[in-house]
Amino acid sequence: MSTETKSTDVERGITERIRASPFLTELLSNRIAVIGLSIIAGMVLVAVYARVAYDLGAIVATQFGTNPTEAAPSAAFWFGTDGQARDIFPRVLYGAWYALKFGTATVLASTVLGIAAGIVAAYYGDLTDNVIMRTMDVLLSFPSLLLALALVTVFPESLGLWRAVAALTLVYTPRFARVVRGAALKVLEDEYIEATRALGATDPRLLIRHVLPNCLAPITVQSTLNYGLAIIDIAALSFLGFGASPGDPSWGMMLAEGVERGLFSGSWWWSFFPGLFLALTVLGFNLLGDGMRDALDPRMRDAVD
Amino acid sequence: MISKRFVAKRLLLLGPVLFGVATVVFGILHLSPGDPAIAIAGDRASQEFIDQVRRDLGLDDPLWQQYLRFLRDTATLEFGQSYQVRRGTDVSAILADRLPITIELAILGQIAGLLFGLPLGILSAVKKDTLTDHFSRIGALTGISIPIYWSGPLLILLFAQILGVLPTSGRIGSSHFIDSRTGFILVDTLLAGDMAAFQSAVRHLFMPVVVLGVYSMAFISRMMRSSMLEVVRQDYMRTARAKGQGAKTTIMKHGLRNAFIPVITIIGIQFGSMLGGTVLTETVFEINGIGTLLVSAINQSDYPVVQATVLVFAFMYTLVNLFVDITYSILDPRIEQ
Repeated sequence: MSTETKSTDVERGITERIRASPFLTELLSNRIAVIGLSIIAGMVLVAVYARVAYDLGAIVATQFGTNPTEAAPSAAFWFGTDGQARDIFPRVLYGAWYALKFGTATVLASTVLGIAAGIVAAYYGDLTDNVIMRTMDVLLSFPSLLLALALVTVFPESLGLWRAVAALTLVYTPRFARVVRGAALKVLEDEYIEATRALGATDPRLLIRHVLPNCLAPITVQSTLNYGLAIIDIAALSFLGFGASPGDPSWGMMLAEGVERGLFSGSWWWSFFPGLFLALTVLGFNLLGDGMRDALDPRMRDAVD
Repeated sequence: MISKRFVAKRLLLLGPVLFGVATVVFGILHLSPGDPAIAIAGDRASQEFIDQVRRDLGLDDPLWQQYLRFLRDTATLEFGQSYQVRRGTDVSAILADRLPITIELAILGQIAGLLFGLPLGILSAVKKDTLTDHFSRIGALTGISIPIYWSGPLLILLFAQILGVLPTSGRIGSSHFIDSRTGFILVDTLLAGDMAAFQSAVRHLFMPVVVLGVYSMAFISRMMRSSMLEVVRQDYMRTARAKGQGAKTTIMKHGLRNAFIPVITIIGIQFGSMLGGTVLTETVFEINGIGTLLVSAINQSDYPVVQATVLVFAFMYTLVNLFVDITYSILDPRIEQ
């Protein structure tokens, strides 16, 4: 009886592994993921183009006298101009660079911290596990944007957008830690870990060379889904006044200025275009993340079969 | 059946969590570079006066003494007085004024999210892999991708500026005077029996609630879709169909009930972003809830207000999740462990 269940478990494990291996093929045949990937690729191109083509100082400086103030979109100013007579088009393009740069920093930092915390908790267990995971639980009992708002005050204002990055990194780390710990616990049960340990591998080697690579799939999905959230939250902090400085070509700051000063004087374009690009970028990451989850989660795949 | 052991266990866990939350808030405020004594005394106060204020506040005491005092004050909901936002007023009085506004907004937003999200998720699952399914899935993902501070202004643009049919800010028209009995504007206007005021309040709430609802719709419809797909494959569904029941009746009678259970858990988790969403919504629509209170308190270094507001937000989130867990354990008794 017990041997029977065991063999079917093994069989299921094998079929799952075979089905999960062509992850990339699966992902690329997922239309939603491909749309997402194309949007992101487009934004990366926009960001790089803006970074190379425009001088940051020139698009931050006010342009009174040179340009009309709060001019509607036209052939000369595709996205119109703002209250400081700045051309909005190059600023919105440059915003893509800001969003991707600070978004990447946030996701990378929280992924690395989350991996460290999650793997250590899973491997050492007991007290270490408890201390780490209970701390994470406490951080998770705050609504994320509110914890970020509180944390932002800890860092000096001079850090600008890095202040938002630092606060959000701490906010997101627990999510990664949970995902990684769960995945690592599963991997640690596998026999090859026992074998590697018997061969005399040191703890760091075991964790980095053997446990981590086998946890990468769920980490990647979590990172992708968190990317969109990071970009939206960084902009939210800027919108509320805790991030970018006035005049910065970040979408959050442009939205803040455009909503506060432009919306009621009829200059809808001032906030419309930054918002459109922001939403499009976040949509790209959400579509990709959703497609990835479908491609990875065998249960979802069964439901589709 | 309600499992008393499960409820007791969850209630017991509430203590340590709230203790942890309070400790984090204490830590954050102590790491902040701002000096509360200067915030109270003002920038141009003399050094003696600032020192005096610091002594009065007990900021010279050892850290552990301040920490214990903070825990005691928090446990007794004694948050002290506001330095700046409403100078000299008890923070608990300010919260009593403003908290209902945010709660009303969050509850209505959550209801809107369910009203938009559940049908969308069910439709998506029933019409799996058709164009309808693709559209509603992409629609839901678009919903979470549009930040509230953009969808809000877009609605203002459409309804207030182009169509001119809805007010842009506040909670009620300036010509209505309503006694604040419960603090919930819809309830207060009804209690006063003033239908014109009630209508005005509804018109003011429309855009903020839609914005919050669209945002939470996405989480709910996604969960409802996958949960529904899971349920549809169950044996009892096939049995129901086999005994001659129509597809619609089967889904309505057996499908929905069982598919809804996992969705309840997502409501708890997603309520956190709902609370974050209220901060942004209140800012866009100039509503005086505790979200805008927190933002102005941070801007003015009003530490007692910051501390109390963050604690209240975390407390609400924790309570909602506790409530969700208990509801879930009643609906699905297997969850006990």
